[in-house]
Amino acid sequence: MHSPRPGFRAVSKFESLFAYEKPLTDGYKLLPFRFTPFDDQNYVLTNQVGEFLVLDRPTVETFVRHHLPADNPAYNDLKSKHFLLDSDSSVGIDLLALKARTKLRRFANFTGLHMFVVSLRCDHSCPYCQVSRQSDDKIAYDMSTETAEKSLELVFRSPSPNIKIEFQGGEPLLNFPLIKFIVERAKSINELQKRNLQFVIATNLANINDEMLEFCRVHNILISTSLDGPADLHNKNRPRPGNDSYQRTIEGINRVRSTLGRNQVNALMTTSKASLGRVKDIIDEYVRQDFNGIFLRTMSPYGFAIKTKWYEAYHSNEWLKFYFDGLDYILELNRAGHVFVEYYAAIILAKMLTPFEPGFVDLRSPAGIGIGAIIYNYDGDVYASDEGRMLAEMGDKTFLLGNVHKNTYEEIILSDALLAPIEESFAASVPMCTDCAFEPFCGANPVFHHATTGDFVGHKPTSEFCEKSMGIFRHLIELMRSDVEVRRIFTKWANQAC
Amino acid sequence: MLTLSGHALELKNFPSDSRGTVVRICAQKDRPFPLREREAFLVTNGEVPEGFGAYITVGKDARRSAPTGSKAIFLSDEFSYLADGDVVRIWPKNNQVRVLYRRNSHHNHFLMTERCNHYCLMCSQPPKDIDDSWIINEILQTIPLIDPSTREIGFTGGEPTLLGEDLFRILRTAKSYLPNTAIHILSNGRLFKDIEFAKRYAAIGHPDMMIGIPIYSDVSTIHDYVVQSDNAFDETIRGILNLKRLNQRVEIRMVIHQQTYKRLPQLAEFIVRNLTFVDHVALMGLEITGFTKANLDILWIDPIEYQSELYRAVSLLADSRIQVSIYNHQLCLLDKCLWPFAKKSISDWKNEYMPECEGCREKENCGGFFSSAKVRYSSHIKAFI
Amino acid sequence: MSHSLTFSKQAYSLEAIKRAAYRFSDRLSVEIIPHDEVTECVCSFLNVCSDDEAQRTLASFRTEVLDHDLRLTIAKETEPMRNAILAYAFSKTGLQGSE
Repeated sequence: MHSPRPGFRAVSKFESLFAYEKPLTDGYKLLPFRFTPFDDQNYVLTNQVGEFLVLDRPTVETFVRHHLPADNPAYNDLKSKHFLLDSDSSVGIDLLALKARTKLRRFANFTGLHMFVVSLRCDHSCPYCQVSRQSDDKIAYDMSTETAEKSLELVFRSPSPNIKIEFQGGEPLLNFPLIKFIVERAKSINELQKRNLQFVIATNLANINDEMLEFCRVHNILISTSLDGPADLHNKNRPRPGNDSYQRTIEGINRVRSTLGRNQVNALMTTSKASLGRVKDIIDEYVRQDFNGIFLRTMSPYGFAIKTKWYEAYHSNEWLKFYFDGLDYILELNRAGHVFVEYYAAIILAKMLTPFEPGFVDLRSPAGIGIGAIIYNYDGDVYASDEGRMLAEMGDKTFLLGNVHKNTYEEIILSDALLAPIEESFAASVPMCTDCAFEPFCGANPVFHHATTGDFVGHKPTSEFCEKSMGIFRHLIELMRSDVEVRRIFTKWANQAC
Repeated sequence: MLTLSGHALELKNFPSDSRGTVVRICAQKDRPFPLREREAFLVTNGEVPEGFGAYITVGKDARRSAPTGSKAIFLSDEFSYLADGDVVRIWPKNNQVRVLYRRNSHHNHFLMTERCNHYCLMCSQPPKDIDDSWIINEILQTIPLIDPSTREIGFTGGEPTLLGEDLFRILRTAKSYLPNTAIHILSNGRLFKDIEFAKRYAAIGHPDMMIGIPIYSDVSTIHDYVVQSDNAFDETIRGILNLKRLNQRVEIRMVIHQQTYKRLPQLAEFIVRNLTFVDHVALMGLEITGFTKANLDILWIDPIEYQSELYRAVSLLADSRIQVSIYNHQLCLLDKCLWPFAKKSISDWKNEYMPECEGCREKENCGGFFSSAKVRYSSHIKAFI
Repeated sequence: MSHSLTFSKQAYSLEAIKRAAYRFSDRLSVEIIPHDEVTECVCSFLNVCSDDEAQRTLASFRTEVLDHDLRLTIAKETEPMRNAILAYAFSKTGLQGSE
């Protein structure tokens, strides 16, 4: 029907919509997609880039069997979201390829996060702590300048244009001189490298002083601290001599804010058994302390947590209730006009609602270990992730990739210890994950599965990570479906997470 | 509504066989002599300087004196808005006068051709199958006369890309003579599906050029139906992808009417997921002129009926950090939170207000109506007192 | 206490049954026995549950087998498309050459 002479129309009357739908009688081809039960009646469908639809089972079956008529209400949505291709339009393939490329873009620029364990010494004794606590013995448990130097060489071997160096421990401020050394040395190397270089110190703030604050101000260093909730909860979770962790943390936060800036400090909470049932108090504490949001974290089965049996303390159902109650409360705050983000949801929502990939290490497939983040221990040992280091503290060195003093960059980044878990856990190939509609939103998490079951893949039907993740995905989609305002709030969260 | 074209009351001393003259208007008595020859002096009270190529007088007592023997143009009151710096075309054969450019206006558009390869249900400039290539030369003559401090000029049609190389010639001329003037082109973008054509467009290297391309639906059949052409959706999208591959600025336009309002939120989602790189999205109200009148029964919907879809679409685009504007909608019809997106978009020569607007305190901020809206407009217009 | 379900070999592939069994392995232990015309699944419950719950679980299992059948159909039909899309996507990321 396309006119032979450009600029002139062969017929001078208007055709009906029906005339333009005629090619649809040829039927349609399926484009790659997955489906998973959503609730009692419905299924959720996702395409390769995480665009989703919720449809009832009969519609799904009719659709797959090529019997869905073009006037079915679902047809146009399936077409526009690239679940089907009909003879009327072929540009969907180009668009899908472009979308896939956008989602995968991060992989070419790997290892953005480099963690330095500058000391294992710590003045707190948190039962859920994932690292051995050692006090006083600086020589044995502090990172040396030689180790730091070698580690920095490896850092700048990553191709990523954005590099974040995070100081961890124990309590990293107890080895502040080394932090100074690393920051100054990294910046000097970066004069030539010209990466986008950022520094973060993960600290309990109990030992911060003016000299440290000034250094952080000059070098634009961000502070990440722990705040588990109101004073009684925080101090119960995080004991220290004098039982004043909460007070010191709040004082520290205020000092950082007034010297470095309001948004230069963020806080992370850890959920313990004592936290369950108090999610509103915890969120209120974060609101009180003027934070822009909170990351409601689950508890990981590593380190001292297992030794002190904290991990078995609660199951995913309890945590999901905690999380959903927290999310409800946060949405209430947002509806009332107070902008406050739940960061874990924001990361998932970025995968669900935007064309981009937020790049959070624990929710990536291929797994984020090594590729997203890597950790240099005080003794020069290199691990694929922080959790991998914690497993090593308990005697399981599966995720030890090498040592900065003994191995080259290639030996470390191409080691079997790194590649095997990434390859074996690749969600798109793993039983159950390969069929799961939620896979675009999920992650491979080989370290968790290794710690709980002994292999990188785990057994997804009984995997707590899987159960929790699916619970959250369904809940977020349900919230969006039932409330346009929630959809709006979630869209804003998703876009600030990218 | 301004009259931009019409008949002169009289043209004096113009050779009757002359094709047409494009001339800039001057109202400065002390214009340097070398420049006067090619300009037309706008006669008001007072002395009439010598040496101008032509003299224009406006008004019913228009027959004032011009120097004897000089070319004179007598225009009726309708043209009283003419001012220094404006450009007009005189066509002696049938006494025709057309205003091509007004320096005081923010909405100078150049129609490049009336030919088009679409036949949109709501087309405000119905296509004609004629050879109007003379327009190209007229535009090429006009551009050097435009004030270089003009902020923006537009190129429309019909379908500008049908001009092929001549389109690029015009754009290069604009870049040369008006390096600081932004250019906005309206096109269906289909010819850019050919990457070589897109490359030639990109090669112009204009510092501030944007092309506005309509997409009426996230569903190809509906889009093709609205523009009355097969394969339109696919080719337009491929055109956009090529333009973006070459880092050209692209705006998506969309007219909201009965056939397009239902899937407006889905279109917004489609843009967010597939065309996230677009520079701007313009959601426009229906203009009741051209083909719209003939198709009014399938196009008309009171804008108040689609406010929910509009809200969802605008908020989705804005929350996804895509620039979005609402054009041609009156403020009293829009939810207050959408007001920041509503732009005064109706060309100043086309806009008007209705009786219901009497005494409205938001008149200044509101774009008002197309003059053509008198035929049909929302029954929910209400002044803010 | 075990239950026996049968699936016609013509209508349901072994692969679909196996995948469904894997998915339900937190609730059921499934022994898969191929016969001539049908595949038999002997299902034993891993946890104590009422008769009602048991029936519901078995019904879900049947649906799951059907679903996997559909999934295998989709996979087969869309395999070439999936590869084409990924190849196109990767061809411009610079992972294999210049961008």
